[in-house]
Amino acid sequence: MLIELSGVSKIYNQGRANEVRALSDIDLGVEQGSMVCLKGPSGSGKSTLLAIIGCIFPPTSGRAAIAERQLARLPDRFLTLHRRETIGFIFQRFNILPELTVLENITLPLLPLGVPPKERRQRAQELLARFAISHRARFPAGQISGGELQRVAIARALINNQPIILADEPTAHLDTALSREFMEIMQQLKEAGKTIVIASHDPLVFEHPAIDRTVTIQDGRIHVP
Amino acid sequence: MFLNPWSLALSLCSLIVLVLGAVAGRTAVRVLRFWEPGSDSNRQIRLENAIWLSSTLIAYGLGFQIITLILFVLAADEFCQVIVGAMCATGALLANPYGMPALLIKLVGVFFYGFWILLHQLDIRSEQYPLVRLKYLTLLLLLPLLLLDVSLQTLYIAGIKPDIITSCCAVVFGESNGGGSNLLSGYSQQGLLLAFAGSIVSLAALGLGLGLSRRWRPWLAGLYAAGWLWFFGLSLVVITTVISSYVYAMPYHKCPFCLLKPEYYYFGFALYGTLIPATFFGVSAAFAGLVRGRPGLAGVVARYQRLAVRLSLILLGIFSGLSFYHYLKYLVSGGEG
Repeated sequence: MLIELSGVSKIYNQGRANEVRALSDIDLGVEQGSMVCLKGPSGSGKSTLLAIIGCIFPPTSGRAAIAERQLARLPDRFLTLHRRETIGFIFQRFNILPELTVLENITLPLLPLGVPPKERRQRAQELLARFAISHRARFPAGQISGGELQRVAIARALINNQPIILADEPTAHLDTALSREFMEIMQQLKEAGKTIVIASHDPLVFEHPAIDRTVTIQDGRIHVP
Repeated sequence: MFLNPWSLALSLCSLIVLVLGAVAGRTAVRVLRFWEPGSDSNRQIRLENAIWLSSTLIAYGLGFQIITLILFVLAADEFCQVIVGAMCATGALLANPYGMPALLIKLVGVFFYGFWILLHQLDIRSEQYPLVRLKYLTLLLLLPLLLLDVSLQTLYIAGIKPDIITSCCAVVFGESNGGGSNLLSGYSQQGLLLAFAGSIVSLAALGLGLGLSRRWRPWLAGLYAAGWLWFFGLSLVVITTVISSYVYAMPYHKCPFCLLKPEYYYFGFALYGTLIPATFFGVSAAFAGLVRGRPGLAGVVARYQRLAVRLSLILLGIFSGLSFYHYLKYLVSGGEG
């Protein structure tokens, strides 16, 4: 298993009046090269689970390991480094910086790694060509279409060749055609060996043939029908 | 004498450090009781989060406490202006029974606080939290020293009365004092200088041997650390009895504190500012070796040891140059000018 969660719980504001139990006793395994969809209504705990897998924060209890290493519990200085090398994120609203050009947005994750400018540009050009947006490289990201923006977000998630891609409600703000296009790209990435976890309640995503397994989350627990 | 900028700065610094120490002390007790690196329990994960904040805060706190040594000496130098008979920090520190012990504890504290910060820095450079227990155990042992440090400082400041008549450095360290109260008056200057120069050469040889050899030799590092401790004590004596009078250009003026005054271009800060860190690095090279075998630390410690030896040698060179500057100037030019 590339991603292995056992007994994972997450409680926000633990011990306070506004305590919220977001996840309870989650066991989940994701094999390398597979695509898993986390399905469930809003507030079910999908994004929290994705954030734990993505080492954004540690679980309250339980084990969340990537390639047998508990990344989220590494000391901070190592955590950032390993997360950068291991996980690519695609956010719901893509979180692209509109003032920067498309090329600058894509190369952004490489800046703290000290990758030389020439190599940064070269890697970005390859991804721009792969996603057919080379002609937009010098455009400010705020001036491109929604579909192009989505491809920029995917390119940014892949720029460091991370083995794991996490996407949180990636099609929530896309029309049907763009959602299909997104899933086609995910399928290609899966075929290229990437491990993909998508949190979504969009049928276009969880019913897509490329999805190997759909995990339903309800009230912070894995729902077994 | 609390209503004085120096006293307020010192007291405020120490108060902050004590609060940080109390917070970290609470974490230390929890770490010693509940730390289980292999566990996935809620308590262990909370502890892992808590130690980050506690360690960072107390590392800064101890860093502040190291800085209070400088503040304390500057404060004593300032107090001498209002104490009858005091001409420099010597008189001010002798104005009550807590001054000199406070200074000595602060000086000892600089090394112990520094070693703790070093342990912390080594610990956070490994992915496996290898020194957490040791770090917090030593922190608990350090807290009484911190408390003693702050208490003596507070008692000293509280006990300063402008109407007390105290001694000046000429009486305390001068050769005219035949009453046996000057512990340094019996040493021969030539003998001290020879021992000083010999120690510098020996330390440099040991350091170069340690730094240049491919394999790290713990016994040599231990010898180097012991050499530095000896050299530190000897240097304080030599600065007081020999070097200071060449700096003042007055054979009977011997004082380790007047060197810090502006009329001597703050020369003492350069001397002590190289001697204390040099000693710390020299000793810590061996000290760090004690945790070299902990998981994930071999490379980190080895790098630190090499760096520490290099820094101690560089600082030794600067300190030696500064120490002999006025003496050699005197030999060449025959005195002032």
